[in-house]
Amino acid sequence: MNHREPDRIPLDFGSTSVTGIHVSAVAALRRHYGLAPGPVKVHEPYQMLGLVEDDLRAALGLDVIGVFPCRTMFGVPADNWKEWNFHGLDVLVPGGFRTRTESNGDILVYPEGDETAAPSGRMPVGSAFFDAIVRQPEIDERKLDPADNLEEFAPIAEEDLDRIERSVRSAAASGCGVAATFGGTAFGDIALVSAPFLKEPKGIRDVAEWYMSTRTWRAYIHSVFERQCEIGIRNLARIHARIAGAVDCVYLCGTDFGTQTSSFCSVATFRELWFPYYKRVNDWVHGNTSWKCFKHSCGSVERFFESFIEAGFDIINPVQCSAAGMEPAGLKRKYGSRLVFWGGGVDTQKTLPFGTPQEVREEVLRRCEIFAPGGGFVFNSIHNLQAGTPVENIVAMLDAVHQFNGVAHA
Amino acid sequence: MPDLDKLHEAVVEGDSKTAAAVTHAAIAAGVEPLAIVTGYLVPAMDEVGRRFECEEYFVPEMLLSARAMKASMEIVRPLLAAAGTEPVGRVVIGTVQGDLHDIGKNLVASMLEGGGFEVIDLGANVTPERFIDAVTTRNAHVVALSALLTVTMTSMKTTIDAFQAAGLREKVKIMVGGAPVTQQYADAIGADGFGESAAAAVALARRLVAV
Repeated sequence: MNHREPDRIPLDFGSTSVTGIHVSAVAALRRHYGLAPGPVKVHEPYQMLGLVEDDLRAALGLDVIGVFPCRTMFGVPADNWKEWNFHGLDVLVPGGFRTRTESNGDILVYPEGDETAAPSGRMPVGSAFFDAIVRQPEIDERKLDPADNLEEFAPIAEEDLDRIERSVRSAAASGCGVAATFGGTAFGDIALVSAPFLKEPKGIRDVAEWYMSTRTWRAYIHSVFERQCEIGIRNLARIHARIAGAVDCVYLCGTDFGTQTSSFCSVATFRELWFPYYKRVNDWVHGNTSWKCFKHSCGSVERFFESFIEAGFDIINPVQCSAAGMEPAGLKRKYGSRLVFWGGGVDTQKTLPFGTPQEVREEVLRRCEIFAPGGGFVFNSIHNLQAGTPVENIVAMLDAVHQFNGVAHA
Repeated sequence: MPDLDKLHEAVVEGDSKTAAAVTHAAIAAGVEPLAIVTGYLVPAMDEVGRRFECEEYFVPEMLLSARAMKASMEIVRPLLAAAGTEPVGRVVIGTVQGDLHDIGKNLVASMLEGGGFEVIDLGANVTPERFIDAVTTRNAHVVALSALLTVTMTSMKTTIDAFQAAGLREKVKIMVGGAPVTQQYADAIGADGFGESAAAAVALARRLVAV
């Protein structure tokens, strides 16, 4: 992360909610490597991400460990594990995870585990993870109050600080690099706008309404971001007071600015609406901690890279090379000395799920040749390993990286 | 007589209140409903599509323009139906089974409607049976399938196969689109066309109904 070439490319799978592995793939990998059988923990039920335990991390030769938010996307802590059967696979889910199966087979999940509230997530038949159910109260423009969109941003509770401190100390003791997610600093992450973790979200919660609001009600959005920024920095300061340099990087922001072929806004809009808040958060981090700032954005986002760098982001993920203008060699040449590429290792829209192991291997080796020189590269696929990805392709990917690294593994 | 250029401007600028007001005034002044669609809404949405293609417009602007166009269409549509006016074509659209993402699909639906098509929007997570039922009962010419997810994209093939099994494949044109979808994938699953963007989808639908 300091742009000095290490002895080998570090690998991450599982340290964040954007570099993770679907629970079914975790189970398949455990079987493949002959690890202890038993149900895998779903640490993030929204995307059904499986926990990469120490034995699997060692088997895969991974170098990064994650510290996860205090609560899952459905507003309950990832603890008090209980068994749940998911598409025939026995898994463990948080004790507060409550679901109901509809007559057509869709699975509904309740916010904060409260079955008296309206469900906030749905997994349709044929899908392998949840999507948010939009619960948008009627919007009266005259009564819009930024406080309504700030319910989820509050001073962190002492018990949560205790929990974070314990998680960080445990992760740091592993000897791996530590990537932590504390939450609260994303600014308009569309996955969070609909607030599947809240029982009764208020304000602007519909995805399309939110996008339109960034143009029509910009002063309102600024008010939300302004207050969120103050709260977020104060929370980071209190967390830092507990853990200091025990984490290496912080996943600060998952707001997507890219689509497959274009972006969600112009660079000018980004600089007017988002840039000031990102800069304030990143400036605080760089001025007060040793942490590196991790930014996730899917899609075609090369146009924002100069702004991301100027705003103080150190790391970009998932480096979606399959999107327009995201050609890997060009990205490395232009930004490789200033941005760490955490991802981009293999395409997850085509090559990894549908290619042959040989095609996976060739793509991985090509990407390593491009991204590794001079450092600034953490190997990860382009976003999470999805359900249904052939395990032999995942193994081919890992073997290729280890071969590139000159390391005999697993 | 209201200034109908203001309707064009309202749609392009995403001002739904003005779009509705000008449309009401035009109808009251005796303007033919079809003239409102072909003379103003279609060119306005073409302009919106052009601005999106050249990246003057992005998703928020597209959504606002679509909402303004719909505000006008809500007024005009029943009048067109009452007059028995035939649309350019009839399109059944939906996000395929297993996938709940609908913003891209909604934008394509709006652009198609703004392009003079009658759009039967089945929403998201649509089973093959519902697509077939809608095509049969509404006598549609085109089916537009959307998917955002790599893991649900395969439902497009399932849907096309279901049309084949039902003996309806030759009676309808099927177009596909969405982030992970490519021309290569469209060809592989036997679709009649692939639209890379909302504007491209309109052009494609026009070609398909002209065949």
